[in-house]
Amino acid sequence: MEDPKEVTTVQAATTLISTIIGVGVLPLPLFAVRAGDTGAPFITLLGIGIAAFGLFVVTKLGLRHSDKTIITYSEDILGKWLGRFFSLFVIVFFSILTALAAREFGAVVITAVLLETPLEVTVIVMLLLAAISARNTMNTFAYIHNFYIPIILAPVLIIVALSLKNANFLYVRPFISSGLHDSFFGALTIAALFQGSFIMTLIIPSMKNPKSAMKAGWWAIFISGGLYLLLVLATVAIFGAEEIKRLYWPTLELARTTSLPGNILQRLDVIFISVWVIAVFTTIFASYFLTIHSVKQLFRLQDHKMLAYFMLPFIFILAMLPQNIVQLYDVIKIAGRAGLIVTILYPMLLYIIDAMKSKRRKKGESKQA
Amino acid sequence: MSLNKHRWRQILLLLIIMSLLTGCWDSREIEKRATILAIGIDNAEHNAKNEEDEVNHLKGANQIPNERMIELTVQMAIPGRIPLGPQIGAGDKSPVLVIQAVGHTIEDALLNIQQEVATEIFLGHLRLIILNEEVARAGVGRFTDYLRRNPQIRRTASLVISKEKASEYMNIKPELERVPSLYLAEMVDSLVQLGKFPPTFIGMFWSILSSKGQEPYLPYFKIKGKANIQINGLAYFKGDKMVGKTKPLQIGGFMAGIGAEKGGYALFIKIPDLEQAVLVRAVERKTRVKASMKNGKPHILLKVRYECEIEEVESVNPSNIKAEDLQILEKNFSSEATRALETLIVETQEVKSDIFGFGEHFRAKLPNYWNNQVKTKENWQDIYQNLAYDVEIKTKIRRTGMKAK
Amino acid sequence: MFIFRRRKQKKAGSKPRVNEIPSKALEEIEKNDLTGSIETTVQFMKEMLGDSDDFSVKHFRIFGRFHAVLFYFSNITDKDRIDNEILKPLMYMPEHLLQREMSKQELITVLVEETLFDSQTNRANKLDQLVNVILRGETVIVIEGITEAIHVGTRKIEKRSIKSPETEQAILGPRESYIESIATNIALIRARLPTPDLCVKMTEIGRLTKSMVSICYIKGIANEKVIKEVEKRLSEIDIDAVLDIGYLEQFIEDNPFSPFPQTQATERPDKTVANLAEGRVAILVDGSPFALLVPVVFNQFYQTFDDYSSRFLMGSFARLARMLALVFSLIFPSLYVSFISFNPELLPTEFAVAVAGGRAGVPYPAVIEVLIIEIAMEVLREATVRMPKQVGGALSIVGVLVVGEAAVNAGLASPITVVVIALTSIGSFATPAYVAAFALRMLRFPILFLAGIFGLYGVVIGVIFIFNHMLSLKSFGVPYMSPVSPGDSQGLKDVIIRSPLWWMPKRPAFLQPTNRDRLGEVKNKVLQHSKVGNDQREEVQNGGSKRGHNGSGSDNLN
Repeated sequence: MEDPKEVTTVQAATTLISTIIGVGVLPLPLFAVRAGDTGAPFITLLGIGIAAFGLFVVTKLGLRHSDKTIITYSEDILGKWLGRFFSLFVIVFFSILTALAAREFGAVVITAVLLETPLEVTVIVMLLLAAISARNTMNTFAYIHNFYIPIILAPVLIIVALSLKNANFLYVRPFISSGLHDSFFGALTIAALFQGSFIMTLIIPSMKNPKSAMKAGWWAIFISGGLYLLLVLATVAIFGAEEIKRLYWPTLELARTTSLPGNILQRLDVIFISVWVIAVFTTIFASYFLTIHSVKQLFRLQDHKMLAYFMLPFIFILAMLPQNIVQLYDVIKIAGRAGLIVTILYPMLLYIIDAMKSKRRKKGESKQA
Repeated sequence: MSLNKHRWRQILLLLIIMSLLTGCWDSREIEKRATILAIGIDNAEHNAKNEEDEVNHLKGANQIPNERMIELTVQMAIPGRIPLGPQIGAGDKSPVLVIQAVGHTIEDALLNIQQEVATEIFLGHLRLIILNEEVARAGVGRFTDYLRRNPQIRRTASLVISKEKASEYMNIKPELERVPSLYLAEMVDSLVQLGKFPPTFIGMFWSILSSKGQEPYLPYFKIKGKANIQINGLAYFKGDKMVGKTKPLQIGGFMAGIGAEKGGYALFIKIPDLEQAVLVRAVERKTRVKASMKNGKPHILLKVRYECEIEEVESVNPSNIKAEDLQILEKNFSSEATRALETLIVETQEVKSDIFGFGEHFRAKLPNYWNNQVKTKENWQDIYQNLAYDVEIKTKIRRTGMKAK
Repeated sequence: MFIFRRRKQKKAGSKPRVNEIPSKALEEIEKNDLTGSIETTVQFMKEMLGDSDDFSVKHFRIFGRFHAVLFYFSNITDKDRIDNEILKPLMYMPEHLLQREMSKQELITVLVEETLFDSQTNRANKLDQLVNVILRGETVIVIEGITEAIHVGTRKIEKRSIKSPETEQAILGPRESYIESIATNIALIRARLPTPDLCVKMTEIGRLTKSMVSICYIKGIANEKVIKEVEKRLSEIDIDAVLDIGYLEQFIEDNPFSPFPQTQATERPDKTVANLAEGRVAILVDGSPFALLVPVVFNQFYQTFDDYSSRFLMGSFARLARMLALVFSLIFPSLYVSFISFNPELLPTEFAVAVAGGRAGVPYPAVIEVLIIEIAMEVLREATVRMPKQVGGALSIVGVLVVGEAAVNAGLASPITVVVIALTSIGSFATPAYVAAFALRMLRFPILFLAGIFGLYGVVIGVIFIFNHMLSLKSFGVPYMSPVSPGDSQGLKDVIIRSPLWWMPKRPAFLQPTNRDRLGEVKNKVLQHSKVGNDQREEVQNGGSKRGHNGSGSDNLN
């Protein structure tokens, strides 16, 4: 029973944006500065470029099979069993991603906001929220993302704008301060933050007008990448690269340093965290949804509603595995690299094979004709 | 089947809700928090070790850090004694409570204080940390770690250095404000507003401390009279140790050096021909710093443009300022200001404290030089001592107040 | 329990025990046709309806010759009409018939077409139909020897007069509201829509009440699928009594478990017509002074009719204030709790310390304090609704102030709490739709609990939960949060501010109307103010009367 294809271009773009902007927003400047010092904005730019390329490949691949998601058309391209094998990897990866995102979220909350609340509770509340919301259809999924986008984007922009009065642009120079090798790897770390764009593979089959998926993708990268770039610029300008290396969550500190003019509210970081909860929710919701739908398609199940609850304990256990915050970030780094393979290399591989196959087919047809 | 599904879901929901209701872990009522508004840090007396109760560690344990013990004085707000509305009859009771404790580190001392206070300490409203000069000269690095790790502390709090013991500040009762620490904190803020000090808050202090090409600076307070506090200059640091302090007027020069826009300091300038000394006050400054290499050596060119106004003319006869006089005033002001700035640079060069941040300019604009020759903060401190510089100041007097001459 | 269920257990073809339950007997009746014999008919009617003392049987002679009987209920028929329109012309043979010979078969036609002075005459020959019709206030004439009967519409029931609406006050705008009689209500709608596109379909729902239900829509604008869906859902209702439109609403709504209403009830015919013009369907039921509008989206609940009658700045401002009040009524107490109990560092320092002072005397946590006062407010509100008007108004104001003040002095609450709760209540009054305000009032409590457990994080989680629920809700196929999500540029112009009427040339798309043009292309240009004055007068003088465009030139202003 297929849902009607009602996802518009705007909704596709907003879904991508809200999926990309998630829990990675907080440590983003730290990653960028670790890799590139004051050249962090430049590295971010490189990372955005790599991510854009990845999205481009995924979209192009999806457009060739605009009725199917990557789970189903990978079977077409690679053959039934090989395709299923790789799809399993995708599913496992995205479950891990969901779990890690929830865990990172919980870690920030219990460190910076609610100090006494047990970690399990914060994580499970978020996962439960995502699970209950994941029972909806694809269209509602798009509506939800579409709705929350202004709430996510506006406060971040406002905070960046308000904080710029403390900016010292000397901190941002020199623009490029590490060699090619370091830059590239740094950019990879940044690109790993854009992994949410893989959700495009799920959206394309439900779009009203799949041809405009490419446009939606460009807009999504433009806006989310622009936001990330702004954040990195602002934090580096205000704190300086050295100081950022000492902070786990520079974006949070940025919100803390800002205050509304007139001192109406003083610690804006609490407001920022509330908004960020929404951004994290959309991201976790999206990856959870992706996991569930992929499982549904891989195993040819009828309905994903029960599955949403069923997967919950597994993801929760995965989320609780890292023992402490240091271990957590190590795992995230590894997962990020793995993610690049899954979200960029694998689609590239599929695309190449697909292109070759269709060329062979065309040759075969022209021979027969 | 559907009945089972419903049941299953309901049970799950019930379990989850029950587990959530077991506690509101973080809830702590506002009146049950001991809100600390200000902290003062002094060096403890030498026999303080014996005074210390064994709260955090047993006597003789070998993990105790070896540094000098500190004495922490905190000012806590008492709920209810600081009313919002108009006061009916001046309250005799003090709205704040002052507590002291000693400890090896800040956290140590705070835990000692907590031992004496019934409600949990809350640092979210901490606005002011006062460090005694001696403590600062020994190094502030030992405090910054705690302050950074604690999520309750806001980066917009103010850090100041005091001449006297910090605990004296906690006990002052200024006339203008009901809560003393708020008065102090507001003083720091208004200093910035009035142009008497460049923007400073603890976050900025940390940023500058971490940066490779600049040394941090903090306001320096002194108590005058019984309950008045005066800003007595600027304390400059080398690394995390305080190495000197400027006179108050030199802060103006410093602000010129770093390009703080709001002007606030005034100079008496004499006009040679007339028997008049004119008080000229700076209103705005614009600074351009140019870092370059001259003969293989680093060189800084400081170009400052002042905009001033005449505030007062001191003379016996009625004043009569003409346009040419204005030009003379401008020139004299420029030369006075240049002198002041250069003196300040020399002073800081002696102690290798680059509070102006020239190092940052080099690091940013001449990265090759920086990466090859300098690399670390220590190296730059040495190079700064012999840095060649040129100061050019231009002044424009735009306003003369309401009086026509 | 439904009376008719027992029917299935009876064997078919058993004798009707008429003296037991008439309606059952009516359904099982074997010989349904009218016999020509008056006696059997009279006896049948007396068995059916004779138990009631207001059932009348009048024997008379038509034209002095034919034996006939009148059946009617005296309480629901108009005595004057029976006398003047039925008995008088029938008893008195008119001139033009004096010489005519007619057979019994022709008599009926003659009576109906030439004699009776009534415009609502019909013929019938089924007994159950006749009984039903008598119960509706019509008068049945049975003539000896003729197997058809005539029934004449003589219904007269006292009605309320049309007054101003009680729940939907408008400052600028018409003041008519619906009454209980469906005929008058439909008349009010038809008066505003003299177009052949207006379609009114009637059905009967409810076994006991047999309420007339009508579905109104504008053909060519309303979406066909919605109309069909409405008809389908109504036809599936099988209930004994339909007393109010609310009964129907509960059967046809998409999600009965959601706190948010998925239909909108309105007392105002002008609002109904405005919604019909956008493509909605209106359902009316006899006996209820409310019309039900479907499909519905959330932002309708904070729009009032006033918004559209007033100028756009005024309307937009009022709407913004309303939205703020809505937000307030939902999260203000929870925000207060989370600031006080979890994150006091958000408040300015002096304020925080002062609030702490206010709370110092209260013995329990902020959550409990807020809960107690909230519950007290809710009880107070219910009480004021029951009170007669003179006492009720004073009680609410005095109640809040005095009780609040007393509570503060007794140490049960802090002054800030009372202010917060008062603002919240006022905020919830500002929402125009009573049902939606109720939904938000209810939802305040779960969010309060979450805030008490998690602080600001809890508030955010609760809000996300509510939004997600609203986003997944659909009303007759239309997503509840349109036009915000999915976006629709025309609809968006009406969400936060009320755009001027000339900026909204198309109907909002979420209702998927068949015809989207609202404004004509050429005519609606804004007055060019620079040209007002001499230029305009010139145009008029030169004979350029532009008034002829408005369709009917008739001045039939009735």
